[in-house]
Amino acid sequence: MLQITDLVKSYNNGEPVLKGLNLATDERRLTAIIGSSGAGKSTLLRCINRLVTADSGRIELDGINILELHGKRLQDTRRQIGMIFQAYNLVDRLTVMENVLSGRLGYVGTLRGVLRRFPQSDIDRAYALLKRVGLSQYVNTRCDSLSGGERQRVGVARALMQNPRILLADEPTASLDPKTSERIMELISRITDELDLPVLINLHNVPQARDYADRIVGLRYGVIVFDGGPQDLTDDWLEKIYAGHEDDLKKQMKVASEDGANE
Amino acid sequence: MSDSTVHYRWKRPHFIETPYIRYGLLALAAIYLIFALSTLRVNPQRIVEGIPRAINMFRGAVPPDFESRGGLIVRGFIESIQMTLIATAAGVALSVPIAFMAARNIAILPIYAVGRMIVVVARSLHPVVLGVLFVSAVGFGAFAGILTLIMYTLGFVGKLLAEAIEEIKYGQVEGVRATGAGFFATLAYAVFPQVLPRLIGLSIYQLDINLRASAIVGLVGAGGIGATLNTAFGRYDYATASAILLVMIGIILVAEGISGRLRGLTK
Repeated sequence: MLQITDLVKSYNNGEPVLKGLNLATDERRLTAIIGSSGAGKSTLLRCINRLVTADSGRIELDGINILELHGKRLQDTRRQIGMIFQAYNLVDRLTVMENVLSGRLGYVGTLRGVLRRFPQSDIDRAYALLKRVGLSQYVNTRCDSLSGGERQRVGVARALMQNPRILLADEPTASLDPKTSERIMELISRITDELDLPVLINLHNVPQARDYADRIVGLRYGVIVFDGGPQDLTDDWLEKIYAGHEDDLKKQMKVASEDGANE
Repeated sequence: MSDSTVHYRWKRPHFIETPYIRYGLLALAAIYLIFALSTLRVNPQRIVEGIPRAINMFRGAVPPDFESRGGLIVRGFIESIQMTLIATAAGVALSVPIAFMAARNIAILPIYAVGRMIVVVARSLHPVVLGVLFVSAVGFGAFAGILTLIMYTLGFVGKLLAEAIEEIKYGQVEGVRATGAGFFATLAYAVFPQVLPRLIGLSIYQLDINLRASAIVGLVGAGGIGATLNTAFGRYDYATASAILLVMIGIILVAEGISGRLRGLTK
């Protein structure tokens, strides 16, 4: 479904962040991408929905090369790719409902969108999704008055509102406290399972990747060094993925064990 | 305890380290001051002659005369307020698209250049100069004043709104863009809500500024209370002039109070 071939990306003609990366995803699978900061995890996801433009390679979604698209055709492909962000990236001054409905902006005309005149089916779907993520009581609340966990639930609802073919999540739990972070991971994992939606998720948190992922991809300086199931990810592999960034890894494991002790 | 016997000398470091430059600059400032004062050529004789005229003027201005030209004063103020309201509304409406054009993070380079140019031209001309231009273009009266104030609004609101647009949080834009939203839908959803409070604040502030400016542009013939004031001075009718000035101060105080309140509400 999603097929990435020889993807190269560098910023400002510097050293490439992604160095000829190859990755294919399968249906109905939660794929976690792990690696130290600077490994290229965010860049990879942002290349897929073209928030950044890759230098060369191919990214094919159902056979269409995303890197060649422009204008309306790019938008039509983007709306099939849901994205959840680390910093939620909701419009703070708009209400929860407006943010969720903005997930339909790729489908409705500009004028209808601007005037908030969405089709009844979209509104029904938005209510259903808000109920599913547990925010029914906040329909008309402004997003800047929500807590971090609540905001990320709105982010999940907005992404699913697109009725996407695939969901991208860029460190969706990194800005949250350990408990909320667990809940959000659980929500993403369950809801995408219900919808049979494949997920590509960047995770800083290795134990979370082990708990929730069907497949783990280890990224190191723009190259995939590990690709396998959670049971295959041994401590040896972790050391290889995080070599030179052991502090990063230790911090992650420590947070997880403290979290475990609190439960 | 030998520490207590040690004394450190401390002085605030000089703003300019090098003594030559420090005292050199002071000397230059002193020379400039002497030179500037010497070019003033204050003529004591003219001051002495002017004193009785000034006394005469103030005597004429007290008590202020609201009555004999009351109709003209009221009409002048109504015209000024109308000019202000129309020009602010039209100016703000024009400022919004131009501000989007003049924001580097939104507009592509050629559009940005055009937007910036409009703002720079509107800002570089003082309302009095603009007033003179428009009076000679469309003739004396309120229409010239309205055009002047629209340009003035465009320069001020356009520039500050463009700056507000350049300071938005880009993550919110990415969030909406990632859904597949088009360019204008993204502007309406992710950019406009972020600058709306600023736009409201600027508009109210500009209303306040335009009220003041409407009196000034009248002095060059662009209608409103300024024209009435100019006529009153021209006729040495200081009592009416002082009445106009008092009403003007009153109205501006009230307007400032209201605009301050309103802007407080938009936070």
